[in-house]
Amino acid sequence: MAGVPEESSRQGQVQVYFNTDSPDIELPEEKRQLIVPTDVRRYGLSQILNSESMLDTPAPIPLDFIINGTFLRTTLDEYLTANGLSSETTVNLHYVRSLIPPLYEASFEHDDWISCVDVLSGSSRAGTWDGREVLAGQERILSGSYDGLLRIWNKSGQAIATSVSSSAGGHTSSIKSAKFISPTQIASSALDRTIRIWKYTEAEDHFSAELKPVMELYGHKGGIDSIDVHGPSNRLLSASTDGSIGLWTTQKSSAPAAPSNMITSGPTAKRRKIATSTSTPQRGPLSLISSHTAPVTAAIFNPLDSTVAYSASQDHTIKTFDLTTSGLVDTRTTSHPLLSLTALPGISTQLLAAGTTARHITLLDPRMSASSTQIMTLRGHTNKIVSLSPDPESNWGLVSGSHDGTCRVWDLRSSRQGTKDEGGGLVGEAVYVVERESQKGGAKRPVGGEGIKVFGVAWDKDVGIVSAGEDKMVQINRGRGVTRAESS
Amino acid sequence: MAPSAIDRKRKSVPAEHNEASESDVESEAEFGDGLLEGILSQSESEDSDEESDAEEDSDEEELDLDALEALDSDEIPSEDGGSEAEEPIGSLVKSNGTKTAVVALREKPLPDEDEDKPNYTITTDANGGERYVYEEIDPVYDSDDSDAPITTNTIGDIPLSFYDSYPHIGYDINGKKIMRPAKGEALDALLDSIDIPKGWTGLTDPATGKPLNLSQDELEILRRIQTNEMPEDGYDPYPATVEYFTGIEEIMPLSAAPEPKRRFLPSKHEAKRVMKIVRAIRQGRIMPYRPPEERQEEEEETHYDIWQDEVPRPDHIMNIPAPKIAPPGYDLSYNPPPEYLPTKAEKQAWETADPEDREKEYLPTSYGSLRKVPGYEKFINERFERSLDLYLAPRVRKNRLNIDPASLLPKLPRPEELKPFPTVCSTLFRGHEGRVRSLAIDPSGIWLASGGDDGTVRVWELLTGRQIWSAKIGDDEGVNVVRWRPGRDAVILSAAAGEDVYLLVPPIVDPEMDAASRELLDKGFGHATNATQALTANGARKEPVAKWTRPGSRLEDEGVLIKITLRTTVKVISWHRRGDFFSTVSPTAQKSAVAIHTLSKHLTQIPFRRLPGIAQTVQFHPSRPLFFVATQRTIRSYDLQKQELVKIIQPGARWISSFDIHPGGDNLIVGSYDRRLLWHDLDLSTRPYKTMRFHQKAIRAVKYHKGGFPLFADASDDGSLQIFHGKVVSDMMENAQIVPVKVLKGHKVKSNLGVLDIDWHPREPWCNSHFTKMSGFPKLVPAFTTHIVLDPPIAVGSVSKGAHLTIAPFASTNSYLRSKATYPIKVDAVFAHGSDFIRQDPSGKHLRLDVNSVLKDKSGAVISYKYSGVMTLTPAIGAVLQGAADAKSTEFGDIVTHVLFETGGDGLRALEQKIYVASGRFVVEAGKPNVVEYKISEVTA
Repeated sequence: MAGVPEESSRQGQVQVYFNTDSPDIELPEEKRQLIVPTDVRRYGLSQILNSESMLDTPAPIPLDFIINGTFLRTTLDEYLTANGLSSETTVNLHYVRSLIPPLYEASFEHDDWISCVDVLSGSSRAGTWDGREVLAGQERILSGSYDGLLRIWNKSGQAIATSVSSSAGGHTSSIKSAKFISPTQIASSALDRTIRIWKYTEAEDHFSAELKPVMELYGHKGGIDSIDVHGPSNRLLSASTDGSIGLWTTQKSSAPAAPSNMITSGPTAKRRKIATSTSTPQRGPLSLISSHTAPVTAAIFNPLDSTVAYSASQDHTIKTFDLTTSGLVDTRTTSHPLLSLTALPGISTQLLAAGTTARHITLLDPRMSASSTQIMTLRGHTNKIVSLSPDPESNWGLVSGSHDGTCRVWDLRSSRQGTKDEGGGLVGEAVYVVERESQKGGAKRPVGGEGIKVFGVAWDKDVGIVSAGEDKMVQINRGRGVTRAESS
Repeated sequence: MAPSAIDRKRKSVPAEHNEASESDVESEAEFGDGLLEGILSQSESEDSDEESDAEEDSDEEELDLDALEALDSDEIPSEDGGSEAEEPIGSLVKSNGTKTAVVALREKPLPDEDEDKPNYTITTDANGGERYVYEEIDPVYDSDDSDAPITTNTIGDIPLSFYDSYPHIGYDINGKKIMRPAKGEALDALLDSIDIPKGWTGLTDPATGKPLNLSQDELEILRRIQTNEMPEDGYDPYPATVEYFTGIEEIMPLSAAPEPKRRFLPSKHEAKRVMKIVRAIRQGRIMPYRPPEERQEEEEETHYDIWQDEVPRPDHIMNIPAPKIAPPGYDLSYNPPPEYLPTKAEKQAWETADPEDREKEYLPTSYGSLRKVPGYEKFINERFERSLDLYLAPRVRKNRLNIDPASLLPKLPRPEELKPFPTVCSTLFRGHEGRVRSLAIDPSGIWLASGGDDGTVRVWELLTGRQIWSAKIGDDEGVNVVRWRPGRDAVILSAAAGEDVYLLVPPIVDPEMDAASRELLDKGFGHATNATQALTANGARKEPVAKWTRPGSRLEDEGVLIKITLRTTVKVISWHRRGDFFSTVSPTAQKSAVAIHTLSKHLTQIPFRRLPGIAQTVQFHPSRPLFFVATQRTIRSYDLQKQELVKIIQPGARWISSFDIHPGGDNLIVGSYDRRLLWHDLDLSTRPYKTMRFHQKAIRAVKYHKGGFPLFADASDDGSLQIFHGKVVSDMMENAQIVPVKVLKGHKVKSNLGVLDIDWHPREPWCNSHFTKMSGFPKLVPAFTTHIVLDPPIAVGSVSKGAHLTIAPFASTNSYLRSKATYPIKVDAVFAHGSDFIRQDPSGKHLRLDVNSVLKDKSGAVISYKYSGVMTLTPAIGAVLQGAADAKSTEFGDIVTHVLFETGGDGLRALEQKIYVASGRFVVEAGKPNVVEYKISEVTA
């Protein structure tokens, strides 16, 4: 007789208050407060909310619960204990639709390793900069390959356009980075130390298109690992292995002349040049900033302010530059060589996420006033992290591509306190791991990610997570609603 | 708070003054306002906070005091002077500060009295009103005479008890009665009501009727509870963890575990043995007792008493007299003379000594008479020990040294504390065919160069593992070594294939750098022709040691600019830090083993005419003009400027494979083919400071990290790398600290060659190693498993071919062929029919299999499944084939076949396009027909 109440009292109960941002699954005011047993987990709470007395959903909606900015990953009891809360407090549970794993959609095959991908869609950066809208279904995927060619694909996997070979004015070496500037303009950088601007024109039927080189930009002494573009101001940033960051304009008329010593090259290159004798105009940089002591691996514009640039380098630093004066503003030193960089909208302030060779992602606050440099580390990859892309729909999400052959989806709200080995601090863990489809079925990932290394990843609202790498495939995973509920 | 207190004081003091003037006219003149104020403020400032606190309380206390006054008429503290007796108590007992102030009031004005004038002048101010201008107070010693003795009782030297019956206790100097001070309950009650004592609760203990106050301890507990601390005194909420089990997993654990319990339990085995004997006795197999007669006879036969009939004989060397038993001495007596009795000290010494250390077993004791002699005291002891003897119980306690084995180990920091160091394989560089012999990371840390047995030099992107450039320089010989020229001013790669050394400029750099590098290489072409060529004794032109030439247009196009041809195969290239000199070693050459090349002059010199041993490798000192040459056993260091031998380092290894010099220049690591890694401190000795032998096989290469991390690594033929933390301290007194931190495994060992070369990234703790890698050879992908139930074979016998032919039909429907789960082509088929034509080799050692069968897939497709193969006729297989009773399942490896599929089924056509091989075995289970199981793999490139 007395068994049941005794047990429930032993487990303990806690008063919770449910709230949400999604109006369609909002609870009526009188139902929001509830006393639940403390031994329930996310699943139990989700069941409670989906039950007839609460939301009374026709089909259960998996829900996730956020307490105090982080996802509930343990039982309520463990959460209360870990945070030193008494079970008499009212716990504020913010519920959101649960994350849907990114599903594999398609793969586009290439001839060689793919170093980078970019997406043009109505919601992508390049798509919004230009006045012309990219229609739904007209999304384009740009891939740059180690064979020196750019390819443009539609969503059904057709290569609409391929850039010309080196003999006709294309890149003479492997492409390392490529970006849409606008729906008609593309920039690409390569190991041949040049950046090329291409004009992209599509035929009426949208099934064939042309990529014409418009401009060659000379100035770097090493291969250019990464570029970033800002369409409205026609500016382009490049990060080179020679340790310098270049600021360029994408307009032919306003670009300065190319430095002559960069164009004339050794006998072999000269011969090749003579053979091609293309008439592509050659231009130089607006400014070259040699501030880093080691190869610069990424340079990005501040998404809110195109006069501010951030760069990450193998010399362990992230530097902030003022582009109007080409001056160094701030240097943030981390403990590992950095390989990739992206800016996140963040929760309250802007954040920078940098992928390191030490297999984790470091989140930094780039503001000068910020006292603590490292806000969080995201751990889980087993090899170098070479590509990062923010979630287009969420302030907390990002996807990373690593040489271990996986892309991982992260949510900054899913964090825990790091152990001593990890150097303490907040540590985030991947929400989803996107494997390479080409490797599916293989029991184990190869050592060092051999054959399946991911080199580039892009996340678009309309297309999903697009990743590419050593397996010569562009892989699309529908990542919509991964970190945010679909706005249905 | 202080100012308000002062205000209040100022208000109250004039009141006092008025009262005083009423009662004591004489002193009225003394109470000048200005003087009063001055002194008051002075006393205020002197007595700081304590004072002001008291002042604050004074207002409400005044009420109580008035009440008290009413109660006890005019009781005044006796210490105060008689002149104050008239003053109200309220102002007197306020506080010490006030008291002294009042005393000062009385004492101070005396000098003013003498001069008989007020200490202020009255003037008119601007408004025409009166204005008092006070004189300055001269702050001399006497200005505040609070130290002056207070006049007390004037009754003289009589006992106070005389006044016991009076309310007063005497008279002051003015003849006023000094009233008996308040005391006892009245005063206590007053004081208790004034200041609430610590621990006051306001409650009354019902048991004792006294006020229930809290003790100091109880107050402390309350304070702790309030501040959320542990209430108990001396409780440490965060004691240092005493770990029962350590979290550190030892690689080679040392045990100091206590003896197990079984050591203290009676042995079961022994009990068994005893029981065996007991049973044997019971069964009469062991005779427990023999007739004593026989034994006696035997003993009598075997023992002789040589002194049986001893007679006195003259002294002779051959004559051994019977030993004399010492006669009992006095000390053995029950009543020895007193000089034989031990003294007290001797007795004590005897008693404290261990039984085995005692000189005598007994202690002479005097008993006085025989009847007082007690029984033998050790009787029981001796019996007991005898029993133990019989039971073979050890009685001697062995005191072993109890040393914690861990304390003997040297104190080394844990590897986790020495991070960063390489821990995981990050990138594989695949592309070389055959072994990769050598590799090097360029000074900028972006590129990796490698050379292998396929004769190519390749340049890779270090981060991604992408091959950027390659050139085939060795046509039939592998590339033995590749090294970058140090320095950031040019990008030049040197590589050696066979007897040729090539200098290359890979097209990976910008045009400016490329031009600079080319110019650097071409600069020396003038010098070579101008150099006078040495003549031999007979006048013939001597063959130059090395020829610097262009390698030909094909290679020049690829970026190979200079070819230096030496006489014998070059195995080692080592650059000088400035990048102008490099040295090569060709171990097979006798005289010209070591050559030093000057890049700017295209000049090759042979520094050593004769070397004591076969040169292995060379190194330039990182900062001084020293040159190290390693032969098989020793390393010699030469001063290049003075051209003399500086030092011979003897690592003690049998065959040195490689060595490296610490960037600081004072330390050296040596790796040897006899598996040893040796650390030399050049300042310390020519012998190694530390020898490490951690590898199973020869060490191929050793390397220090040159970019500031205290790391070094070695590479071994056992396929592993070991990373060490080797910190060199600048302090001469301290030795270098060497800690092995990580073993990196993963390289496959092919034909006994493991990791052949390693290099460190110039800045980061990344380490690269190359190894015998066999790409280009096919590999096998597991595809299917077949299960063929064998029917009883039909022996056809010898046909015209001369070999025995046996046919084994496959008829059972239990035979099947299925895909592995991971294989893309999905087949799940059963055997329709088929048979195996088995032919025996004339040698009788092998069976030739030839199978032709038809399978039916679940999808309905029909598959023709043929294979031919060889079965080695091992005894196990022979037993299976003959159907022997003791036949057992065999292991894979003795049956190897080549499989062919043909099919028309959709989705299975791919089977026809691929090549499959299989390995098989027999599965024998009791009561079931024998089964042949095949594992089929697809051969892929």
